[in-house]
Parts: sequence; structure tokens; C-alpha cells
Amino acid sequence: MSELANIPWNLILPILVLQLILAVVALIDVIRNQRTNGPFIMWIFIILLVNIVGPILYFIFGRKQS
Amino acid sequence: MSSLNALLHKELRENIRNFKMYWIPIVFVIFGILEPISNHFLPEIMKSVGNLPEGADLVWPEFRGEDIFVSLMGQYQLIGILVIILAFMGSISGERKTGTATLLYVRPMSFSQYFLSKWIVVNAIVLASMWLGFFAAWYYIQILFNSVAAGEVFAFLGTYSLWLVFAVTVVLAFSACMSTGGAAGLSILVLLVFQVIDGILGTYWTVSPWKLSTYASNVFGASDGQSAYWMSVGLTAILIIVLVFFGMYMAKKNAAKTLV
Repeated sequence: MSELANIPWNLILPILVLQLILAVVALIDVIRNQRTNGPFIMWIFIILLVNIVGPILYFIFGRKQS
Repeated sequence: MSSLNALLHKELRENIRNFKMYWIPIVFVIFGILEPISNHFLPEIMKSVGNLPEGADLVWPEFRGEDIFVSLMGQYQLIGILVIILAFMGSISGERKTGTATLLYVRPMSFSQYFLSKWIVVNAIVLASMWLGFFAAWYYIQILFNSVAAGEVFAFLGTYSLWLVFAVTVVLAFSACMSTGGAAGLSILVLLVFQVIDGILGTYWTVSPWKLSTYASNVFGASDGQSAYWMSVGLTAILIIVLVFFGMYMAKKNAAKTLV
């Protein structure tokens, strides 16, 4: 536990928040329009499991431009 | 003028709807924050996960705040440019393919205004993201390293902004000129591969757009070769204008390729 306390959370917190926003926006978009390149379940896992890059990949390659 | 206004509104709305307005700034800011933090904690990170042999004693270079700005720019040169290319490669060719263009092209609009509206909005998004990223980095550099003179930072960011405007113009002009895939390939060639070529062979000339990033980082040190710097700035500005007119012309010429 002492190692956890040693991490300078006040410095890292903004990154975590931004990552969360990115993932949440991507997730909401996947679930709402469900029309993606490839199965949309796969994109949900990519967004949830791959840090930072997952949501970016979804926005670039996954979204179907209507 | 009012039709340019309408086109600008359309572009803005489109970029909000496809989330580019949100995710591109967030990505730039995340990299802007990560760079100073990871450099500051590099010795500790290496100690815990670096797999260094027992008793290894590495002397870490003492980073100054200015060095972090330059290394963040190095990140943006690769990842940032890649994001710009991938996000905007289809902004004109994609409209031709999906049929959005049919709805647009039947209206009495000038293609120069059409191209200009895209150019303005994309540049606004990219530049705002880049500045936000560097400001976030600046904040962390003040905390973790030393404070950097504001004048130098703004000179640095101004020079780098011109390079990014050039990058955006290249991507949009190629997007007007050919298919999405071709635009991506050629943009990567021009923006990333030429960068490497310029880095290797670039000692033979001093004036080129690809040297702007080097000149930007020179702001922090002893600056020599002022005339080469201003000539590069001038050359880049001229190339941007030429590419904008090329893009307008190609957007008009390729209008017939629109899929209905």
C-alpha cells in the first residue's frame, strides 16, 4: 500500500480524467448508433481495454461516417 | 460572404457530431501532460521496471524545461501529424464518396469558399489542440522543472503553428485531389517521410518547411541563421497559399467524381 501512496496522484489525476472522458464519449457513441466497421462488441472491448489508443482507433477507423 | 458563413457553420456542426472537436484536443493534452511527467519520473520508472543489472549506475541527463518542450514537439511530429492525417484525410474525398457532396454541390456555392471553410475549421481545431497541449505541458513544466521565459515559448509555438498549418493544408489539398487512401499515403509521404529525408540530407540546404520544427526548437538556445529562418517561414507561407489554390482547383475539378 505504501507504494500506492507514493504515486503523485495529484499530478497523474488529470490524465486519468481525460482518459476516462475519452473512453466514455467513445462508449456512448458506440452504444448509441451501433453501426461500426466490424462488430460493435469488438469495438466496446477495444475502447475499454486499450488505454488512450483504443478510443482513438475507434474514432478514426470504427465510426461509420453516415 | 454569407455562404462562407453557412459553410463554416456546417463544418463546425459536422466536427462536433463526429466528435473530432472533442477527441483531438483531449489526445493532444494527454500527450502534453504525459511528456513532462514521464521525463521527470524517468529515473524512478527505470529503477522499478527497467530491468537494470545490479549495481548499474546511470547518470541521467539534467533536463531543463526547454528540453521538455522540444521533446513534446518530437512526439507531436510523429503522433500529432499522424492524428491530423488520419482524422482529416477524408474530409473532402469522403464527402464525395458518401454522397454528402451531392447535397452540397447542387447548391450555388463557390468551391473556393467550400475549401476555405474546411481549411479554416480544421486549422482552428488542430491549432487549438496543439496550443492546449503545450499549455498543459507548460503548467507541468513550471511545477516539475524550471520556469521558461514566456516570450521564448510563444516564439516557439508560433513557429511550430506555421508548420502545422502547412501540414493541414497538405492533407486537405490531397484530400481534394484524390481518394481518401491516396490522400493518406501521399500526406504521410510528404509530412513524415520527407521529414526524415530532410533530417538526413538536410545539411545541404537551410530553407525548407520541414526545417521549421528545428528552427522552432532553436528559439530556446543560441539562435543563429536568422535569415535562413525567415526564408523558411516565407517559403512555407508561399507553399501554403499555393496548396490552398491547388486544393480549391482540385475540389472543383473532382466534383464530377461524386458518387450519387
